[in-house]
Amino acid sequence: MHKENPYIPKITTIKSIISENDVNDIKTFELVFDKSEDYKNFKYIPGQFSELSIFGKGECPIGIASSPTEKDSIKFTIKKMGTVTTAFHNMEVGEKIGIRGPLGNGWPIEQMKGKNIIIIGGGFAFSTLRSLTEFILDEKHRDDYEDLLVIYGNRNPGEVLYKNDIKCWQKRDDIEVILTIDNEAEGWDYKVGYVAPVVKEVGPSPENALVAVCGPPIMIKTTIDVLEELNFKGVQILNSLEMRMKCGIGKCGRCNVGDKYVCIDGPVFSLAELRKLPDEY
Amino acid sequence: MKKKILLKEQIKKFYEKLRENYNFYGPIEENGNIVFSKILDPEDIILNYYNSKIPPKSVILPQKEILFEYEKKGDEIEIEEPENIEEKNIIFGIRPCDAHSFYLLKNFFEYGEYEDTLFTRKRKNTTLIGIGCNTPRQTCFCTSLGGHPFKKEDMDIFLVDLGEKYLVKSISKKGEEILNQISWLSDATKSDIQKAEKLSKTAEELISTEIDIEKAISILKNNFNHPIWKEISENCIGCGSCAFLCPTCHCFDVIDEEDHYNNRGKRIRIWDTCQFTLYTLETSGHNPRPSKIERCRNRILHKFSYYPSNYDLIGCVGCGRCINWCPANNDLRIILKKINKIDKKEESIVA
Amino acid sequence: MVNRLSTIQEQNTKIEQLIRDKALKLLKEDEVDAIIGYSSGTIPFKTCPIIIRSEEDVDKLIWNNFCAMNLAKYLVPLIPTLKDEEGKNLRVGIIAKGCVGRALIHLAAEKQLDLKKIKMIGIPCNGIINRSQLLRELQQEEILEASISDDEIILKGRNFQKKFPIKEYLNELCKKCEVKSPPKIPDLVEACVGECQEISAIEQDFEDVSEFESKTSEERWEYIKELLSPCIRCYACREACPMCYCSLCFVDQKLPRWFGKTTELSETIVFHLVRAMHLAGRCVACGACSSVCPMGIDLHLITRKLEQIVKERFDFTSGLDPQIAPPMHQFKMEDKQEFILEEE
Repeated sequence: MHKENPYIPKITTIKSIISENDVNDIKTFELVFDKSEDYKNFKYIPGQFSELSIFGKGECPIGIASSPTEKDSIKFTIKKMGTVTTAFHNMEVGEKIGIRGPLGNGWPIEQMKGKNIIIIGGGFAFSTLRSLTEFILDEKHRDDYEDLLVIYGNRNPGEVLYKNDIKCWQKRDDIEVILTIDNEAEGWDYKVGYVAPVVKEVGPSPENALVAVCGPPIMIKTTIDVLEELNFKGVQILNSLEMRMKCGIGKCGRCNVGDKYVCIDGPVFSLAELRKLPDEY
Repeated sequence: MKKKILLKEQIKKFYEKLRENYNFYGPIEENGNIVFSKILDPEDIILNYYNSKIPPKSVILPQKEILFEYEKKGDEIEIEEPENIEEKNIIFGIRPCDAHSFYLLKNFFEYGEYEDTLFTRKRKNTTLIGIGCNTPRQTCFCTSLGGHPFKKEDMDIFLVDLGEKYLVKSISKKGEEILNQISWLSDATKSDIQKAEKLSKTAEELISTEIDIEKAISILKNNFNHPIWKEISENCIGCGSCAFLCPTCHCFDVIDEEDHYNNRGKRIRIWDTCQFTLYTLETSGHNPRPSKIERCRNRILHKFSYYPSNYDLIGCVGCGRCINWCPANNDLRIILKKINKIDKKEESIVA
Repeated sequence: MVNRLSTIQEQNTKIEQLIRDKALKLLKEDEVDAIIGYSSGTIPFKTCPIIIRSEEDVDKLIWNNFCAMNLAKYLVPLIPTLKDEEGKNLRVGIIAKGCVGRALIHLAAEKQLDLKKIKMIGIPCNGIINRSQLLRELQQEEILEASISDDEIILKGRNFQKKFPIKEYLNELCKKCEVKSPPKIPDLVEACVGECQEISAIEQDFEDVSEFESKTSEERWEYIKELLSPCIRCYACREACPMCYCSLCFVDQKLPRWFGKTTELSETIVFHLVRAMHLAGRCVACGACSSVCPMGIDLHLITRKLEQIVKERFDFTSGLDPQIAPPMHQFKMEDKQEFILEEE
């Protein structure tokens, strides 16, 4: 139980900023804690998020994009959308960011051990899926998990995040990476089509498998339909919900779905759990 | 500890003694409203009232509260905790329903992995000296929620208004410590105590509203998509009156206030309510609760379904403020009675 | 026709009958799908806005001097239950005291609703009682029953009964009201069943404002500070006002954030005064904002002052003619600009 003022962020410095897409509205920020003890205490698992502060502008909840196996810094991929995220995009290397976390429940990495893992992502929502992929691929953990399949769809080639990481993944033989874009594009060597039909085409087996799905609502809905057609059960399909959040610790009240708070009981919920909750997300 | 007597004419003395070590809050009249405010002049304390307009939660969960302050010094950022958390407070004149709300709020802010230490520490440093309700209002229904106009368990010191004097009973250790410091309180007589018991019974009989809350809670476990929500929310105008006057509502918004010129600022929280459209509106434009129907439903479910489900407590104390001040006269008692009329067949939540 | 010489109680009975007769007729002849009106409140001084859809419910519609809400609020934006399953707007009837009628006409002038699709059941309002003022008179006494007898309101408590002359305890805006029933709309007579009145301009002298005007700047500032300091920023005033229909209120804007949402007096004053400015030439003086305020804040002087300024500068009163564009929606060469340009 944390007993200090839970609203006070720890201080980090921006180490690097990488632009992830052509239109330059998605950037990955690499943050380094100012105090090493803060870094030591920041023990996280893939799927968790943090409340990132720009002092004077506000806070926003962002999924952690780096894996805990990547040492010394924490990465966050942020899309420019509202007040705080726009302020982020105006920040420069060396400036200070506040961080509160790690928050949320994360992907159930213990439950995933010994299983085939299927990771399905769409567009910008791939952040925490990257964290999960890198975590599983790490030599310390790779043997804990069975087959790893990643299906990642985007509107166009320019929108694909983590291009360098994906290139590394594609070179490995312990992970299968399937990329797809919505429409034909010049120079694109991979699949074309929306994520759901691509999943159908690939036809992964539900045998001993867990699926982690993240993406825009329409992609999630169509993908879940396909997965159910392929006989995946509700408990096998994991989803990371997004909601408007402020405190991130279950106190301000606004992220509730039924009697659950997305910031503390989630953001990861299985489809079976979601079906028990009211349709308010 | 023995029961004591505090004469109403001694309240000034009582106040003078206690304010040496405590911030003394009590009910005063401000612009025609009874509010709990820090007492600067004991003559201001109102002794003859039903209940305050703004609930006493405002003393330790104010409309605006500083979460922390920061200062930019060169490249570095220095953060300062808010100052007044360790101050000792007394809230004098709180009613049993509002005292129970403090219990509910403490339970909520303490719960889970992260404790809201701003609230819990202030709560620890706050002593409740409450007064039983000799005459509950027509809109009171604390008894339907496990409360009672003379319920004293949630307080530190409990007073009963016997006319010219109060019967004083210490309930907690905190209360006992305070009463031990006040040597001039006379002992209560048997007849004082008997009078108090009589007043308790009359008060209970005066509560005219009775609602089967357990039934409502069990019905609300299902029926999320029941058409009754359209009926219940139809005349709601979506303001924050009910939530801001509610002793158990605790939702807040977090805002940064920046002082550019001096390179400093603060992060504050302000009262917020699920009744506002913006409460759940996402930057993408998607709103999980797009209309009043969903928002009104959320408020009722939060108090009478999610609270019981998560903490085994009911998120309402029956104070009746929302009933008295809702612009559209959306009466909670009527809402609960309508819910109780729903046929108890199991309805699945998935549409 | 309701005779003004009869007592308020008698007028109420007649008005209630008028409402029920017209409502029944509209529903029977299938001219509307739903009627918005007032029903009995559950506590003294309150009535509960209600939407009825069938003839059996017509007797739920009432009229008394506690009908404070401006029902036009439910039409812009149209509340979800006044649309059918396919999302099409239902045909709506609405009990319209004068200010409700003015609100509907002004909303039509602002192109927010189509008067052809609404049936106003016009009634000659005899004023809304000032709940805050009476509660203040009775200090902390609980009022168990409030009833209207002849021209008096009788307040009963546990140990008392007091009478007050209604005319002295009406809302301040009601005391000055000249548009007690909805204005007749020249090209659209069928928009109003029931009573309405021919009116193209009001004849105010705004005497009540002159006392406020005679105050010095410092005195006015003190008045405003004292008036607005109880505000808890619940926005009941904004939500009760039919003219506050912006999908994003200036208070809630973040890019840029104009000012804060706390109860710091400076921020509260900015909210109320800017909102008042946004209502210049639009407010229909219904007083709902003051009636619904849980803290008893009475904005009538601010409202009246604005109305006076608009009448003086633009010779305009809101809600009388849907064809006339409100002054803040347009610019005329004759508009005085002495605050920017030197007078010629």
